[in-house]
Amino acid sequence: MKGRYEDENLYWIPLLIGFVLLLPFLLQSATFSYKYYLFVLNMAGIYIILTVGLDLLSGYTGLISLGHGAFLAIGAYTSAILVDQAGISFFISLIISPLIAGLFGFVIGFPALRITGMYLGLTTMGFGFIVKRLIIAFREWTHGAGGLDVSSPVLFGYTIKSDWDNYYLIYTCVILAIFAGRRLAKSKIGRAFMAIRDSEQAAEASGINLAKYKMLAFFISGLFAGFAGVLFAHTSHFISTDHFDMLLSIYFIIMVLVGGAGSIYGAVLGTLFIVLLDNLYVPMIEDWIHSFMNTNAGDIQSLIFGLIMFLFIIFQPMGLYGMWLKLRIYWKIFPFNPRKRFT
Amino acid sequence: MISLFTDISQEVISGIALGSIYALIALGFTLIYKATEVVNFAQGELMMVGAFVNFFFVTQFISSAGESSLWIFFVALIGSIIFAVAFGWILDFVINRPLKDEPIFSVIMATISLSIILRAIVAMIAGPMSLLPVSPFGENVIKIGGIVISILDIFIIGSAIILVSLFYYFFNKTRWGIAMQATSEDPIAAQLMGIPVNRVHALVWIFSAIVATISGILLAPRMSLLDTSMGFLGLKAFPAAVLGGFGSIGGAIVGGIILGVIETVSMGTLSFHFEWIKEINDIIVWIVLIAVLMVKPDGLFGVEKVKKV
Repeated sequence: MKGRYEDENLYWIPLLIGFVLLLPFLLQSATFSYKYYLFVLNMAGIYIILTVGLDLLSGYTGLISLGHGAFLAIGAYTSAILVDQAGISFFISLIISPLIAGLFGFVIGFPALRITGMYLGLTTMGFGFIVKRLIIAFREWTHGAGGLDVSSPVLFGYTIKSDWDNYYLIYTCVILAIFAGRRLAKSKIGRAFMAIRDSEQAAEASGINLAKYKMLAFFISGLFAGFAGVLFAHTSHFISTDHFDMLLSIYFIIMVLVGGAGSIYGAVLGTLFIVLLDNLYVPMIEDWIHSFMNTNAGDIQSLIFGLIMFLFIIFQPMGLYGMWLKLRIYWKIFPFNPRKRFT
Repeated sequence: MISLFTDISQEVISGIALGSIYALIALGFTLIYKATEVVNFAQGELMMVGAFVNFFFVTQFISSAGESSLWIFFVALIGSIIFAVAFGWILDFVINRPLKDEPIFSVIMATISLSIILRAIVAMIAGPMSLLPVSPFGENVIKIGGIVISILDIFIIGSAIILVSLFYYFFNKTRWGIAMQATSEDPIAAQLMGIPVNRVHALVWIFSAIVATISGILLAPRMSLLDTSMGFLGLKAFPAAVLGGFGSIGGAIVGGIILGVIETVSMGTLSFHFEWIKEINDIIVWIVLIAVLMVKPDGLFGVEKVKKV
């Protein structure tokens, strides 16, 4: 019998982890503005944790969620309240808050047993709006729409303050999350998820408990998002409901789809692509445009972002991971590739 | 007691007017979804573009004619509709055709990025300031037994009824309408029967652009401010389309009107009498939606899809 990861090359994973750990030093030696890059990378890391969970839900199980920002918000607010107002230590909150977000996943999983397709997308979108509004309504703890200041995380007596510390905290979690996601996807649970995505009827006929696994998918994905939320709250030091906009949830699903739904690495690639595009490359292109054209509207940034996304989808509808798969096949059969197939 | 009754009936009428606009936007969603199974996230932005184009025409014509009259509004409306036809046709070329054989998700993502692009372009052209749209009827109202109704609302309801009956006629009686129905039923079979599916899809996009433009024109004077955030109102019509059952035209209309009435009544009388309703004013639409979907997962008028294994 074949082992779980036998058909994959695993030797480059330690290399990748080493690269992630060394990246801040490389950035520091390469540019003066490395702090900004660290900030962007931190944000990407938090989103990666969330999109890995979202990929398990949408890519593997085929249940669309357009309200994942809500889980991020639940994790962030729970942790902020637990740590700053109830006095629980950060480490314990790092375990409890994702669980609470996961429980909310259960709640939204209930309608998902009956509602499918676009209807589910709308239900989760509504869930996002409702959570956002409820956060404002509980203004005793959350300070309403004014936002909430959050303390720095303290782990084992060490206060994590700078972007530098945050980077290592976040990316340790990112590596753990990717590992957990991969492990889940290749386990019995992951196979059940994929069976549900491909055909609910066939999955049920093969003895998969639909209700159980759909709820589990929502729970796990809420767990990941809540985890990301805790990190978000404590590394950005300030949260308000504006951070968890509906558009953010749509961006998340775009990240998963651009990467290629149904692959954990795809979700990671897609998230990096979108976040870096939005924060690094778009400003670069904007500067370049400014060099020969005088525009003072800030909207040019979203215009460039939208255009790049649009062109990308028109010319690469399968996403980054699909592009990578095509490339891999291309090189495998290199001299004998039929020209037509790879346009 | 009597004052409560007049309050509520006034709110219901104004809610029906708002709901007819929602219904028109939802109709745009439904048209595209029915024919191509694509959820067009840019519908609200199409509406916004329509409203801005109409505003541009109205101000241009008024400044060149020197006075404002109903004729000017009519000519501007015709101009905007011509623009919408061109716009929908271009959209079909840019979005629908290149992504014809790709997964639905790609097309949905294309519409999302289209909405980002449209918002940015309109914001760049129109500038950061909100514009003040002109209503052809001013602030005129009529009174029926203590109930005050603005003429604009009556106009909105009237034009919604006319549009919807036109669509009904088109879909059920004309050749192209029946071709459209066949295409949405089964594109491959329709193609085999000699229906030009590509042209039908183009027509669907054009129609939904027209509906969006008209709803934008109707909505702008009611909101009394015109800026790019109007695009987000498209998301409010989403529940309307879903409530009635995605892909059913009658459902979109009933859903839109129900949501419009609920929204105005909860903002008015209910908020006045119950303090806590104020907290959930902007999400009450979603609560109703989720409650309905829990009971009827395919919307009020949606047909349950029976899957073959």
